[in-house]
Amino acid sequence: MLANYLIGLREGLEASLVIGILIAYIVRTGRRDLLGAVWTGVGVAAAVSLAVGAALTLGPRGLSFTAQETIGGALSIVAVGLVTWMIFWMGKTARFLKRHLEDGLEKAIALGKGAIIALALVAVGREGLETTLFLWAGIQAAGSTSAPITGAVLGLATAVALGYLIYRGAIRINLRVFFQWTGLFLIVVAAGVLAYGIHDLQEAGVLPGSETLAFDVTATIPPGSFAGTLLKGIFNFSPASTVLEVIAWVSYLVPTVWLFSRMAFARAPRPVAAPELASTSAV
Amino acid sequence: MNTRHKWVASRALAPAVALLTLTACTSNTPEEATGVSVDIAADSCALSASSAPAGPVVFTVENTGDAVAEFYVYASDGTKIVAEVENVGPGLSRDLAVTLDAGTYVTSCDAGMNGDDIRADFVATAAGATPAP
Repeated sequence: MLANYLIGLREGLEASLVIGILIAYIVRTGRRDLLGAVWTGVGVAAAVSLAVGAALTLGPRGLSFTAQETIGGALSIVAVGLVTWMIFWMGKTARFLKRHLEDGLEKAIALGKGAIIALALVAVGREGLETTLFLWAGIQAAGSTSAPITGAVLGLATAVALGYLIYRGAIRINLRVFFQWTGLFLIVVAAGVLAYGIHDLQEAGVLPGSETLAFDVTATIPPGSFAGTLLKGIFNFSPASTVLEVIAWVSYLVPTVWLFSRMAFARAPRPVAAPELASTSAV
Repeated sequence: MNTRHKWVASRALAPAVALLTLTACTSNTPEEATGVSVDIAADSCALSASSAPAGPVVFTVENTGDAVAEFYVYASDGTKIVAEVENVGPGLSRDLAVTLDAGTYVTSCDAGMNGDDIRADFVATAAGATPAP
């Protein structure tokens, strides 16, 4: 039961944390009217995943390995794009907070419901299919033993509870600190998702080098251990990472952290700042 | 949800839907599919057959051990992944449907996902091959 619990926890953790932060953002910027959009995205992603998982498990047709990996890889890269957009949206808000420009804040967070729905949809849907295939296997086994499905559901519930705790914490801390640190945290999460997407595409044979490892610390951090589960679940850390994964991770992380920090941690510029301020806030 | 929101949502889902509706599906239980059961335990990996006719093969991977297991089918070089099923938790059974061309493959059971896998050759025999005169 513990092993299945850890799978459930791992598969649900990243989505829970992203959704928790997204809701905290919406609540703290006084846009509770957008909460419906979040839950729409979450609900649609969960329903579609469950339905497709059921159809593939119980129906006459399964999904080929290559297709599953390609879908996982493609959705991961879409997710990186959307989360990056969320990160810079937070960075921009932090900058406006520093300047105490309430009007500017209003503009910075003027965002569409569609974008919120898409973000919630992809955050949950990315691992949704694999998670529901795993859950359906547990349900099928429930005839002989209910331990696997119980463990899996408890693991997912723990992930949701941790997402809620992040939300609770995030609505207490200083608003500017919230945007700065959750932004940095999300950059590391997104870099992990990118590396994971690359890994999927390598396994599917779309990208080469699946056996060219940069490092292998499987012996130190076994993937089935509790530490391995948390690292994998939050940061998509793979104990055996390929060279291409590491290159993608670093190439994303370094410039993104630099750009974000420049935006979110910058000393408050005087009202007329560099031209790039105008271009970044004109979105 | 207005039209614009639907558009964004459908764009986000488009890759998955497109893939699903194109060539993504393999048959779970076609008439001619060969079933091979795979029993993974802590230190063992038992396949019910070491060969099957080329074509659709369904590996039913059952984990009777107490650690999470994965099952791979590699090409004959032992590195290129042909198919894989992960997250086979203890007590679970998951199907891996794959279409194999004639040739030699390498199966791998990885209990505990620690890289200490158990490998074996698996042969897909040419369907309808007529013996040489």
